[in-house]
Amino acid sequence: MAAQAKIAQQFARQLFTLSVVDGAVSAERVAGVLDYVEKHRPANPVLLLKAYYRLVATELAKGEALVEHAGSIDDGTLAAIAAAMSRKYGRPVVATAKPNAALLAGLRVHVGDDIYEASLAGQLAALASSV
Amino acid sequence: MSTVLEQIEQQIAKLSNKAVKKNTGNIRTVADGVAKIDGLSDVMYNEMVQFPGGAIGIALNLEADEVGCVILGDISQLKEGDEVTTTGKLLSVPVGKELLGRTVDALGNPVDGKGPIESKESYPVEKIAPGIIVRKSVSQPLFTGIMAIDSMIPIGRGQRELIIGDRGTGKTTITIDTIINQAKINKVGLASGDAKFRPVYSIYVAVGQKNSNIVRTISALEAAGALEFTIIVAAPAADNPANQYLAPYSGAAMGEWFMENGMDALIVYDDLSKHAVAYRQISLILKRPSGREAYPGDVFYLHSRLLERAARLDGKGSLTALPIIETLAGDVSAYIPTNVISITDGQIFLETDLFNQGIRPAVSVGLSVSRVGSSAQIKATKQVGGKLKGELAQFRELAAFAQFGSDLDAKTKAQLERGGRIVELFKQPAFSPLPIEVQVSILFAMQKGFFDPIDIKKIVDAASSLKSFFTTRKDALLTEIRTKAALDKDLEAKLQAACEEWKSSFAA
Repeated sequence: MAAQAKIAQQFARQLFTLSVVDGAVSAERVAGVLDYVEKHRPANPVLLLKAYYRLVATELAKGEALVEHAGSIDDGTLAAIAAAMSRKYGRPVVATAKPNAALLAGLRVHVGDDIYEASLAGQLAALASSV
Repeated sequence: MSTVLEQIEQQIAKLSNKAVKKNTGNIRTVADGVAKIDGLSDVMYNEMVQFPGGAIGIALNLEADEVGCVILGDISQLKEGDEVTTTGKLLSVPVGKELLGRTVDALGNPVDGKGPIESKESYPVEKIAPGIIVRKSVSQPLFTGIMAIDSMIPIGRGQRELIIGDRGTGKTTITIDTIINQAKINKVGLASGDAKFRPVYSIYVAVGQKNSNIVRTISALEAAGALEFTIIVAAPAADNPANQYLAPYSGAAMGEWFMENGMDALIVYDDLSKHAVAYRQISLILKRPSGREAYPGDVFYLHSRLLERAARLDGKGSLTALPIIETLAGDVSAYIPTNVISITDGQIFLETDLFNQGIRPAVSVGLSVSRVGSSAQIKATKQVGGKLKGELAQFRELAAFAQFGSDLDAKTKAQLERGGRIVELFKQPAFSPLPIEVQVSILFAMQKGFFDPIDIKKIVDAASSLKSFFTTRKDALLTEIRTKAALDKDLEAKLQAACEEWKSSFAA
């Protein structure tokens, strides 16, 4: 089972490499990969597609700034965040707003596996852990 | 009043404006104390990562699309998908004199119920060993208090001396004796007010041992008044393998603090066989390729990087290491024993046969060696015990031949007699280390033939009588030997006279 998972992982990585054009995931190539998998039915398709999904999702997350916010947020702020993140990571980053009342106040921005914590809830949690 | 309010306001302002960056990942699998994590793209090798519920982990495997972490602490609450964050810190433990007299776990947390440890500093658990330039050769003695060792296999400050033998041969006892002896020397030295006196602090690292054994060790140290100079790092058998793997490195970090701050320290790793087994377990779970006896390829580096941290530093202090290795059926050529033998500066080999014959400590003189040699001995010991190792080796050889025939010449008989007496003389009960000046006195008496007329079966009693004679009646002479550390003609005459006095009283 471990060996099969490893083979699926390696194959998924090859398919993922083919899915990236100019540093971004191409929807057209992804459709092509899915089509290939359906037609040719490689070994362990579920393992393969799960591994492929994880790689694509990780890559897509790098190009998206998910802005969690408590209260309202205007388009100007979102655009400023997108611009700042694009500058920081050296690639186009699109900002998406997501309301989250649990933050109490402030923002929390997710880009890939990085989190920028500027919310009251986050600061309270940090304060609680430091006491 | 207004200043205080301003400070609070500034703190609030700082809190309100500052965005904190965290690098996160999600648990993909958790098994046997090891978590595989997606994400954590910024994590460093050996970095501490924070799991939910307060558990921390160490990133040990950095792979293309996942990170393998060993988890230190309770893993029962962790589940797939839980968020894990990097801390930006390498694993560190508290260090300093505040830890003396305390028992801590592999992370430096107190486990003795004596309250929190108010340590001001912390040192990284993993640290590159001191290089060539900063080191100094080992030339200052570290007395174990065991006559057979101090006279024939001397250990110096900054040395790595392996203690190796089968189970139940007295390996731990030798190290506890050594720790107790350091405490005794420290007490005498500190009470003397000598500004040049350098105390030796001890660290005892228990890896994979039964809790009852650790308690017994602590009790022995406490009873001997040695606990106040000792730090115990406990990673018992019930602890997870990650803690057992880390404990020696944590102990080394604590010892390094003393060394870096111009003090001398002694560290005992009890034992590195179990440490290697814990590391093998972690490596297998992390799916690292396994080699001989299923140990990973870097098991040599596991111990070499640990033991290389013991050193004597130029212009600073020293860290002496006494690693313990348990052999199976006396096989010193097994994988881990040969590794550690090649890393250390000598070994004290303990034999089951000798132990069963009542020769305790069961030190095998032929197989034991100290590569530092007599440079770590005081002159007085060299004067009275310089030829002992050769004499004992000759005795063992002759004794083996003597079994085949009864007709022996007078010289051979004399050598056998003398060898038998030396063996008896070196018998020493557990937890009663002898000060070096008493050892010198006893060996002087041996050298001058004061034990020759005594029946071989009574040698142990005679040595004990001589010891109490010197400690109760010749304290000034012992102090003189200790301070001079060499026997001049005057001192030799005084020792001769004292031995004569004892001889008449013992015979009477």
